[in-house]
Amino acid sequence: MRKIKIKFMPYEVFRKRKLSQIFNELKDSTILLIDAKLSAQEEAKIIEETMKKVSGKFSGIELSSLEMHDGDMATHFDKIKNILLETITGKKRGMTIMGPAKIVRKIEKDPEDLLLYM
Amino acid sequence: MVIKRLRDGIALRINSLFGSIFRKKKVVSIGIYGPVNAGKTTLANRICIDWLGEELGKVSNIPHETREIQMKENVTIKNNGKSLTFKLIDTPGIATKIDFEDFVKHGMKKKAAKERAKEATKGVIESIKWLEKMDLVMVVLDSTKDPLDQVNITILGNLDARDTPFVIVANKCDVKRSKASRVRDAFPKYKIVGVSAKTGFNIEELYHSLLEAL
Repeated sequence: MRKIKIKFMPYEVFRKRKLSQIFNELKDSTILLIDAKLSAQEEAKIIEETMKKVSGKFSGIELSSLEMHDGDMATHFDKIKNILLETITGKKRGMTIMGPAKIVRKIEKDPEDLLLYM
Repeated sequence: MVIKRLRDGIALRINSLFGSIFRKKKVVSIGIYGPVNAGKTTLANRICIDWLGEELGKVSNIPHETREIQMKENVTIKNNGKSLTFKLIDTPGIATKIDFEDFVKHGMKKKAAKERAKEATKGVIESIKWLEKMDLVMVVLDSTKDPLDQVNITILGNLDARDTPFVIVANKCDVKRSKASRVRDAFPKYKIVGVSAKTGFNIEELYHSLLEAL
């Protein structure tokens, strides 16, 4: 039986880690959950790195992120707080899931939920 | 003092005159981006046949047929009295996974499939690198598929972040299960044109949108 690990990773930790370390985890049958929406540039960088790592054994990843929009927030105060936090920390509210394509068949966006098919 | 000012003035005039004669006009680059098998090369071929009378690249049902950047210089499109000359750049499809076994399922030999996968990975990297060179992008999506695919979102997000103008092309409108409205619902704030690159359906609207976008 194949062991699958699901790892929660705070965005701050993700940013500090080298992508090679992230890919070592992904190759090791780990699904990563990050507590933020990655930026488009970060996503593009991950795709580039994935392509460099593709081999006979590793076919790539499934990746999906969900962004919390201003409209989803309850009050104007929440919206302002979010804008300030995003500006200061660079962290977008939402979540990101990525996992090795051999394990994660598909990730569907609902668009308010992420559905993981394994 | 007066002589110096006169000399500088004449030098400036000469520079400006020769500058305007010899300054090379920047060539506009229009890129075709999108996920694998969305019909990017079919669209590039449609544009090239319409305005140059020749195709740009080979089309296939096997994914990753285009594995290198392909381009045509001096494509001039005309619509409603306006015209635009540009370099058309067709890019390999962007993907997050490439499994050589998928090519084997299409009847390729294992060795050839592995080679194709290797070339395809390089193609994806090239496509991403070329994003910064584009003045305008046509993001080609397969309108029979889920538009909220992460690859689509990443491409659009990167264009947005770079302030590169783009038009979303909801392709394959000739296919019965096509739903261009699903693409519109997914990306309501962007310009979307539903076309069939294969049959030429609504292609004039796309030319109009390109001329408007720049």
